[in-house]
Amino acid sequence: MSAVALLAAGAAWADDPAPPDTSAWKCEQCPFLEGYSGDVEVGALKANGANFSYGRYTGIDHSTTYADVSAAGQYRSADGTNASYDLEDLGLASRQGSAAIGSEGRYDVKVDYDDLPTRLYDTGATPFLGAGTGNLTLPASWVAAGSTTGMSALGSTLAPVNIEYDRRTASLLGSYIASSAWTLHAEFRHEEKDGTGLMSGNFLTEAAQLPQPIDYVTDTVEAGAAWADHRASLRLTYTGSWFKNDIDSLTFANPYLPMAAGATQGRLALPPDNNLQQFALAGNVPLNWLATSLTYAASLGSLKQDEGFLPYSTLPGATVPTPSSLDGDVHLSHYALALASHPLPKLSVRGNATYDGRDDHTTPLTLDYVVTDTFPSGPPLTAPRYSEDRTRLEGSADYTLNRWVRVGVGGQYLVTHFGPDQLVEDTRDTENWVRATLDPLAGLTFTLKGGNASRTTSGFIASALPAAENPLVWAYDYAPRDREFFTATGSWQATTTLTWSVEGFFANDAYRLSQLGLQSVHERRASTTLAWTPRETLSAYLDGGYQHLDMLQDGFTGALTAPWQVGDFEHFWNFGAGGQCVMATRWTLGLDYLHAPSYSDFNTQVGGFAEPFPQNWSRLDSVRLDLRYQWTKAAQVHLRFIHEKYDSSDWALDGVGPATIPNLLAFGVQPWADSVNLVALTFRYQFGPAGNPPP
Amino acid sequence: MTRTRPWRTAGAAALLVALMAAGIAPARAEETAAPAYSAKGADSCLGCHDDPALLSLFKTKHARPRDDRGPFGHGGLQCEACHGPGGAHVRARGKQPAGIVDFGPHALAPPARQNAQCLGCHQSNVAHEWAASQHAASEVPCAACHTLHATHDPVLATATQAEVCTSCHQAEHTDLFKPSHHPLREGKMACSSCHAPHGSQGPFLLIGNTVTETCTSCHSEYRGPFLWEHQPVAEDCSNCHDAHGSAQPSLLKTRPPFLCQQCHEGAGHPSIFNGPQGLPGGGAPSAYLLAGGCVNCHTQVHGSNHPSGRLLMR
Repeated sequence: MSAVALLAAGAAWADDPAPPDTSAWKCEQCPFLEGYSGDVEVGALKANGANFSYGRYTGIDHSTTYADVSAAGQYRSADGTNASYDLEDLGLASRQGSAAIGSEGRYDVKVDYDDLPTRLYDTGATPFLGAGTGNLTLPASWVAAGSTTGMSALGSTLAPVNIEYDRRTASLLGSYIASSAWTLHAEFRHEEKDGTGLMSGNFLTEAAQLPQPIDYVTDTVEAGAAWADHRASLRLTYTGSWFKNDIDSLTFANPYLPMAAGATQGRLALPPDNNLQQFALAGNVPLNWLATSLTYAASLGSLKQDEGFLPYSTLPGATVPTPSSLDGDVHLSHYALALASHPLPKLSVRGNATYDGRDDHTTPLTLDYVVTDTFPSGPPLTAPRYSEDRTRLEGSADYTLNRWVRVGVGGQYLVTHFGPDQLVEDTRDTENWVRATLDPLAGLTFTLKGGNASRTTSGFIASALPAAENPLVWAYDYAPRDREFFTATGSWQATTTLTWSVEGFFANDAYRLSQLGLQSVHERRASTTLAWTPRETLSAYLDGGYQHLDMLQDGFTGALTAPWQVGDFEHFWNFGAGGQCVMATRWTLGLDYLHAPSYSDFNTQVGGFAEPFPQNWSRLDSVRLDLRYQWTKAAQVHLRFIHEKYDSSDWALDGVGPATIPNLLAFGVQPWADSVNLVALTFRYQFGPAGNPPP
Repeated sequence: MTRTRPWRTAGAAALLVALMAAGIAPARAEETAAPAYSAKGADSCLGCHDDPALLSLFKTKHARPRDDRGPFGHGGLQCEACHGPGGAHVRARGKQPAGIVDFGPHALAPPARQNAQCLGCHQSNVAHEWAASQHAASEVPCAACHTLHATHDPVLATATQAEVCTSCHQAEHTDLFKPSHHPLREGKMACSSCHAPHGSQGPFLLIGNTVTETCTSCHSEYRGPFLWEHQPVAEDCSNCHDAHGSAQPSLLKTRPPFLCQQCHEGAGHPSIFNGPQGLPGGGAPSAYLLAGGCVNCHTQVHGSNHPSGRLLMR
């Protein structure tokens, strides 16, 4: 087995000697875990200043006292039967837990649960009634008007609306070791996502932000078998995933004066039920030839959607189209072959070929059309179907020149064929790079990598361009592009206690043939970390990072106006420092500080005159202190304090109230901001032989 | 009929033999010096290596005496299953690590040697695509990410994994703090929710065959197919989104209306210039620019199943 592994890894050193007679290896000093061990942590967490901004994914979204409860434990018997559980943050909306039972070397069964809260905005308000349902109405006192400024009942009818949803995932996993070569595995995952999102509904030129009901369920089954021995490995997997949305539409009252008779309400389609079925085969074969490993994969699948259509509009007499559903059917295919070889001890070669196909077999439908539930429009239109396939060839070779220098070259060739109804027939991307890894001193390693890439496009199909679209705009996923890039990484273990690492990157993209649309993108990144661990009981770190991203795009409105240009310049910083220290054997102190600002500047120019936007920015400052006292061998007291301040500015939201924009009845949500103090005091007790000794 | 060219065949054979010999020769040289195993296995090791941090191994899956696939199962080589034969090391009373394989990014053993020890057992499951992976090409040792003796390996826990990954992928560390981000910083998502670090046949070591398949494994409401599709959505989510983080809402690369105008500049409102005069203080607050920008009306940017959803407004 180890010989196979050596080949697979491309190693060229000796096999280990023949396995010894281990009958005398009693492992008498081995402290194998037996019986029950575990710990429970109970306490309280007091939050001050918490809101949706802080609670976005933590679930700590208001100022109150939360139960801080976690527990973990495991049981192992002498015959190898074992069970375990792990419960975390039970008092928070971000709680998670798992429980497992198994027999060593035979089977494992595990149950997982995870709750992911998403809190987006608690600063919005809306006059719509029925948030969370598929039917939004307006209060009886509502006064419709041609613009938001005329909606005289708006002030008295606004009610807070929270944009938030929860994703709860429960899964059951099992694996059974059928023999030394065969393992069977299966997983069932049930995911619920419910709450309120944010979407909009409009009547031609007038719109309103709406609370979107979210009531999704996704069930996923994955089952398969894996086989492996010293000759090869193989995995067969079936995946089935069913998405179900119990609310298929959102009907909303028109808060504006109807533009046409009967246009008093609108209706949006919500995500339709869909299902995905996929069969996959993957594995590898170590070849006894130049230390080569062959990896292969193939999968075939289909994506289907056949939700019944809504009527064309809410207008009286509107009908449901024929056929009454899409019968959508997309075929997915994936084939891959990869080869990794060490033809010489100092030479490693890798190559792979991949094909991905997304083939939309749905019959294109030609349908009538009603503009925003208001105006029946011109001749029927055919819904385009989009297919594409990608063939990717990649290769690289690395050669170790001596103990200090390793060099490599590589490249990639990607051909993307687009199906009918798309603007081009295909794009071709090529990329070439060179790499050098330098080890000038023991513990010091630098890797430099640079290269370039280009994309060409062929077969422009003018007839696929929508009638009103400007033919001078190249959508950037099609547009010919040149790229140059360079990466440098380094790490240095200066002493046994001090390590330093650094990473730098730049990339320039130029869309050389695009007369309008995206013109260029520049990206710069630099990061560094210094870690110091003078002894086991003391450690400290400093880290910092910077990113710059800018993109430039050109636009043209018409012959009577000047060309315009938009530049988006973004800067991100992060600086962190902290450490941990064990004092007087029983006290452990941890301290972390983080400062992470970001800036985003949109500079516009029209006719050569600069018109910059106010700067969008965010600033995150966080201090975290952890103090632990090891009371006894099994008991620990933990005090945690977190101060976090987040502030931000966004010109798209700043000062935008429900009636600020004449033709948009907005929620008036404001940029995220919070200043939170968290204090948690918990008591932790450990049971059984796994109790850790005092630090 | 093709004429054979014996000199070419002989030359190719000679080259092949030379290449193979070059690859095998050092191995043979080392074989003669291959050290022996210890006399008592783990009991030989634990006599000296009794540090509690090392002994935490016995709380992990690697130390299960009833699992015959593991190092401590029946007939297993115990510590030496991973660290290699320790006979000489024991005889030298630990003064020299002869034959011992140590682990980590700064270990004496080269990464390929370290990884061969791991792959000897893990080839069939987590690492069956390892040989072709970018991490293998970059000679990343398994122990650069995995902490084997710890009771809880940080890279295997959702809450702590990102910290491990971003110790090398430092630019992604900065991404964690961007205004719009996936919940990695909050410990509710791991890098491995999207990436397969041991190897993948998809791009960027993604868990799915494509970017879109990876994203829709969680965001299944966007899978479609919709009656009215938005071409870049069906093609690749990363046309508009930067999954690692963004200064713009919803992980967008830039914000509407400018993002949309990188592809759409048709006659009428799609091509108009949106400048700061459309801000609340600019005299003409604009729905093209403020709140959701284009999605104030074209709210169904991911596709619409409404018969009248051609312009993604229903």
